[in-house]
Amino acid sequence: MGFYIFSYFCAFIFLAAVACRVYRQLTLPVHLRWEIYPVQHEPTDKLVHGGSYMEDLNWWEKKLKSSLFNELKYMAPEILLLRGLWKENRSLWWVSFPFHFGLYLMIATFALLILHALLVLGGGEAYVAGGVIGALLGGLIVFMGWTGLILGVVGSFGTLFRRLADPALRAYSSFPDYFNILLVSFFFLSAFIACLLVDPLLIGAKAYVFGLLTGGRSLNAYAPAESVFGGAAILLASALAAYVPLTHMSHMFMKFFFYHKIKWDDAPNLRGGGIEDDILKNLRLKPTWNAKHIAADGRKSWADLASSAPKETK
Amino acid sequence: MKKHLKPSDMAMSADCLCPIESGDLSPLPFPYEDFNSRTISPLNPEKVKNLETSLDNTLAVGIPKPASKEEEEVLIRQFLCGLKKLFEKENNWTFLQQLLLSMEHCAKCQTCSEACPVYEMSGKKDIYRPMFRAEVLRRIYNKYLKPGGKITARLTGGIDLNWTTVARLAELSYRCTLCRRCAMACPIGVDNGLITHEIRKLFSQEMGISPKELHEKGTIQHLRVGSSTGMNPLGAKDSIEFIQEEMEEITGYKVEIPWDVEGADILLIHNAGEIISWPENVGAFAIIFQAAGLSWTLSSETAGYDAVNYGVWYDDVQLSRVALRHADIARRLKVKKIVVGECGHAHKALIETADRILTGEINIPRESALVTLEDIVLGGKLQLDPRRNDFPVTLHDPCNYVRLMGIVEPQRRILRKIAPRFREMTPHGVDNYCCGGGSGFAIMSGYNFAEWRNLVSSRKKFLQILNAFENESQAAPKYVCAPCSNCKGAIRDILSYYHAGERSSLYYGGLVELIVNAMESMKKPIIHFGDQPSWT
Repeated sequence: MGFYIFSYFCAFIFLAAVACRVYRQLTLPVHLRWEIYPVQHEPTDKLVHGGSYMEDLNWWEKKLKSSLFNELKYMAPEILLLRGLWKENRSLWWVSFPFHFGLYLMIATFALLILHALLVLGGGEAYVAGGVIGALLGGLIVFMGWTGLILGVVGSFGTLFRRLADPALRAYSSFPDYFNILLVSFFFLSAFIACLLVDPLLIGAKAYVFGLLTGGRSLNAYAPAESVFGGAAILLASALAAYVPLTHMSHMFMKFFFYHKIKWDDAPNLRGGGIEDDILKNLRLKPTWNAKHIAADGRKSWADLASSAPKETK
Repeated sequence: MKKHLKPSDMAMSADCLCPIESGDLSPLPFPYEDFNSRTISPLNPEKVKNLETSLDNTLAVGIPKPASKEEEEVLIRQFLCGLKKLFEKENNWTFLQQLLLSMEHCAKCQTCSEACPVYEMSGKKDIYRPMFRAEVLRRIYNKYLKPGGKITARLTGGIDLNWTTVARLAELSYRCTLCRRCAMACPIGVDNGLITHEIRKLFSQEMGISPKELHEKGTIQHLRVGSSTGMNPLGAKDSIEFIQEEMEEITGYKVEIPWDVEGADILLIHNAGEIISWPENVGAFAIIFQAAGLSWTLSSETAGYDAVNYGVWYDDVQLSRVALRHADIARRLKVKKIVVGECGHAHKALIETADRILTGEINIPRESALVTLEDIVLGGKLQLDPRRNDFPVTLHDPCNYVRLMGIVEPQRRILRKIAPRFREMTPHGVDNYCCGGGSGFAIMSGYNFAEWRNLVSSRKKFLQILNAFENESQAAPKYVCAPCSNCKGAIRDILSYYHAGERSSLYYGGLVELIVNAMESMKKPIIHFGDQPSWT
């Protein structure tokens, strides 16, 4: 039961940390524009050369076009295959891609395990085991799980090796950087060994996830502690889930804000629009910068300061 | 001297943390090999004896050393106070989201370094890595401002905070041109250019520390006198009158430049540096607009004839003040739109960055001159003879409106129509390299900084220019089209520094000059290669 309690606790930390991070981003004030081109939601005739609507005469008189298809066309290989790293830093891609894709496959495997557990809850173990869906699902779980573990082991230890071997990476790495990679590496390694030695068809994994959804009620007699490596894999996976959103590794999902709220945020401020309302709120904020030329005193607003001339030079 | 420097070495005691020595820089090809052993001239000890010079033997800011231990402590406290404010919405709503994301999610993979022309051309000096200064700031923030930071710093990588660290960081924030190639390359989206920008703001907005060319002689003078060049409205009018006469003499075409025309369709704002250094650019605009029959005007109001906005590089309040001034002038003139001339940072400041400062009736539509020009040239409003531009032409892409605003094709469509021997640089468009004069460097030349710019930050652009013309004979005149005042200034300086006019017959200029040069109604060419007219 202790394993389940630990997993629930970690899941709670994960959800709370993700919610905090996302909530903070969503409640930050609207900022000045800072996009970088190409902006991937531009229509194809602009996107091919990295252009923007600002290339058009009197653009403000026209309806701005946006292409969700172009955006998705870029995002899918970027998220799944790390297209940017392939283009900009190929030698790192060879270790970073298996590292990341291994993690994705672990997440996907976990999602399939939940689906499996839900099917079992809905129709019973015999129903799932005997049907085509059950066979397909079982096969997919094994395939994705094994592929993810192999890629993850190669990628995580490769990443660790690269960070240690490359002087430029080593010079900027501190204890948490190594700890993060080691945590991921040990998870992959323990899960890999557990599968190799005692659970090649991930039956134990199915049982544990079923137990997670049923308050500890296992599908069969599987108990993670019976396998040291299985137990370690569950503890490390749970800890990792809780730990990732607390660290820079949260870029896995925070990348959304990098792209949609900064790099591709080209929304113009139109008179009477929502952005203008937000700007007006910001202009009422009262800064306290101390340089004399700013002349902030904590009472004057940004609007007051911006519409005044500097009296002091420094 | 340590070969590889870490962020924590910023606090290290040394006369010079990272000198550039002979042979360090990326090599130049024939006929410029004699520059390969050249390095930056030493600073004059007398001039800098009271300044902090221990970063890399050059100075952009020139910060006085504190006179006492107490003064040093006060300055460090000011720095930390400013750093805290960068993370407060009241003080930094303008860039808070960008800063938080970039500070918290860097994976330290060094992909950004390979994208940086300063780092590459310097011979890969560690201090010029885009993430070096970002990591210094991150470590100071984590150690000195985060709860428990001094304890966790032992694990997360600490840094000692002393005056040397602070002063070096201020200087180091002026070794990046803010081209943001690093941000484009980052697989996550971390923007080390943005962090550099925020460091500059901290020093300016909290401590009153910034290069005098950007601040005292820049935004302050701009708002007080009317132009960062020091030109007041009367001086501007006199100069423009002179340009009108010059244009007629040079091209044989009589042009009238309109001032303060209320209700005109277009308020055209030039970088006033053009009026002084490249008057033919201002004249060419006037010829084109007049010949195309546009309704347009210049403004003689204070700051209304100078589109620059140096605030975009170092100070959000100054940025806002200048942008508001420009927009308000347009409002009072009742123009339909503002058109920004060939000035990259003015594009970015007024059209894009200030877009979320201007509200209500001062939110006047703003457009790039390149777009206006494209409509004129491709819309058949001028009679053009491209054979008049029968010489090799390449195009420099100013970062500010290409990578950072997505204005990429209008200038190319014009060039394809008027310059039959146009060829691209490699890479180009949004992947371009900065001219090396970005973020104010083109106008900063105190101490020996201009030499650092020519040798290091502009070096990649110089190589690109040479490569673009590699199949042409050294003697054939070639034209580098740089439709941006600061880029033009930086390119002028590298061509002069490397004697590229004499050795490779390289010349430079704007886009409008090429258009006017191809106009059939011109009796004489506006473009000359030395004493030689480009056509007869």
